[in-house]
Amino acid sequence: MTLAAGIGYALLALGPSLSLFVSVISKKPFLILTVLSSTLLWLSSLIVLSGVWRGFLPLKSTSRWPYGLLIFTSIAFQEGLRVLFWKVYKRLEDLLDDFADRVSKPRLYQTDKMEIALAGGLGHGVAHAVFFCLSLLTPAFGPATFFVDRCSQLPFFLVSAIIALAFVTIHTFSMVIAFNGYAEGNKVDQVFVPVVHLVAGMVTLVNFASGGCIIGIPLLYFIASLTLIHCGKMVWRRLTENRSRQGN
Amino acid sequence: MAQNTKPTSILDSLGEEIIRIIAPVSICMFMVVILVSVLDSSSSSSTSASVTSIATIAYSETNSDSSWDKFVGALLNSLVFVAVVTAVTFILVLLFYLRCTKFLKLYMGFSAFVVLGFMGGEIALFLIEDFSIPVDCITFVVALFNFAVVGVLAVFMSKMAILVTQAYLVVIGMLVAYWFTQLPEWTTWLLLVAMALYDLAAVLLPVGPLRLLVELAISRDEDIPALVYEARPVTHNDSGAVGRVAQRRVWRGRSGENSDHGSNNNPNANSVFVENVDSGSNSTSNASVVPDSSTESNTLVSGHNDATLVRAEEGWVPERDAELSAPLIDPRMNIQPQQSELEGIGLGSSGAIKLGLGDFIFYSVLVGRAAMYDFMTVYACYLAIIAGLGITLALLALYQKALPALPVSIALGVLFYVLTRFLLEVFVVECSLNLLMF
Repeated sequence: MTLAAGIGYALLALGPSLSLFVSVISKKPFLILTVLSSTLLWLSSLIVLSGVWRGFLPLKSTSRWPYGLLIFTSIAFQEGLRVLFWKVYKRLEDLLDDFADRVSKPRLYQTDKMEIALAGGLGHGVAHAVFFCLSLLTPAFGPATFFVDRCSQLPFFLVSAIIALAFVTIHTFSMVIAFNGYAEGNKVDQVFVPVVHLVAGMVTLVNFASGGCIIGIPLLYFIASLTLIHCGKMVWRRLTENRSRQGN
Repeated sequence: MAQNTKPTSILDSLGEEIIRIIAPVSICMFMVVILVSVLDSSSSSSTSASVTSIATIAYSETNSDSSWDKFVGALLNSLVFVAVVTAVTFILVLLFYLRCTKFLKLYMGFSAFVVLGFMGGEIALFLIEDFSIPVDCITFVVALFNFAVVGVLAVFMSKMAILVTQAYLVVIGMLVAYWFTQLPEWTTWLLLVAMALYDLAAVLLPVGPLRLLVELAISRDEDIPALVYEARPVTHNDSGAVGRVAQRRVWRGRSGENSDHGSNNNPNANSVFVENVDSGSNSTSNASVVPDSSTESNTLVSGHNDATLVRAEEGWVPERDAELSAPLIDPRMNIQPQQSELEGIGLGSSGAIKLGLGDFIFYSVLVGRAAMYDFMTVYACYLAIIAGLGITLALLALYQKALPALPVSIALGVLFYVLTRFLLEVFVVECSLNLLMF
């Protein structure tokens, strides 16, 4: 609607990630590099998916199952990539530990590992927000606004910003949960992340119904807060375990 | 409390040099994108001001030509441009060989002044026009003149605060990149590809002008007079390093300065790349000399009196630079190449990474041209270029010789631009408009 509105939408989607970036990630250059590479990875996965689905677009908007299939395949692919990301991270962790030994510094702390996972997740989240919300915001800097039929109560930009915020949260913290799950071999955590991602994706299908976004968005936020709480509990548990182990 | 005695983790400082190069490149790209979107949206696109310059001498693109015509015309344009650049670079090598260093320095100063004064002035005029900023002629001229003169001093006098020098280099890169984005579209893309290929050839082929230049500079222990961005080297105040002898990184087996810790160039202590390099040298710095040597090594080394420093330069692969003469894209002055900039990436004698200004310019041109299409391509191209830069830095540490910084980044940038424009955009718009996200 104007410059202010455009910036407002952008900050709505990316505000928490920006503050996370400034407070935690910008202090350590390695984390900035991690954010950039995980953003690139997410973008590449998105490009591959769009390449695969390009032939079928635009889908007929009457039935829902093509969209469901699209979301399902996309999420499956991205979760597969997450496992790959984890394997690469494992190797990187070994390299870093060797390097730390060589320069006689301590090996990676528990908090370091979690910070790397957080940075990876933030990269994914920022990539989502940038490509699904920010890149479409260009008209919002102009004099008018845009409404979608299915969700006509709010401007399209606002809706996409809100949804993007939820997804940023989900992506950021599910990476921490996932990495921790793979490290500990915790099956619950390992399964939790793909399931949450899939459920969140499917919930957006609810937006198809006219006025569906009234139900869809709160559901999405419920899932996001679930992820956040689970991650918080897990981190707290790990850190207190660690501290008690160090105290012994 | 365990916190007080907890030693710093390696994560605190790893990868800092890379960030110190990525940050200015990102800033330059960001400012070019802002300039392009602000100045483009205001001026109507129908008035395509066809700039006459070397880059469009063969063919001026008009909207009515067919795609094939545009392609062929753009190809001719870029070939002409590359030919001119090659010729000028060879002239530069000749001048350097004949030791006309003073002339080269004056020429560089003059071109920096022209860029800052005239190009910067013209862009400032556009901005004043767009935003209706009330400023009178005399103030404007005085301010511009001062700005340009300080800029010339900043890139030449090594005594200036390094932040000012770096800022001015970024501004020069930004101004030239903005002018390049004013070229017609096909010409711009093919020009980028052609310059990437030229860079590859000129640096790696034994007969390439840039390689000759670098080898001349190495054999004479001089630095090439050119515009180069040098990232500040990383200094560490390691409490554990006191008493340890600072050792220099060994490159290509030439060294022997291991005992020198007086005027010491601070090799970066925590780059992962040091580990890939089979130097085995322990690159931590003597804490007491850190403040001194950092100020010394921050400057572009020119005529250093310190003998050990000069010897040190032998051991390094110094600036791997290329002189690029960009034509002045100004309708008034037609075809005068007026600039020396540098392309390519190398390690400065202080261990700091040096990136030629030509690289800044062409990265920003790519991103600026992507901005003329849509912001999605901007983000994709930005990530691709940064990835390319990272890969080039990794290769630099691996091969330890001068490397062209353009090819990988431009290749990835163009690839991602094409993929985003034709594949991703449709997909994302389709999903978003239906409020489907994942």
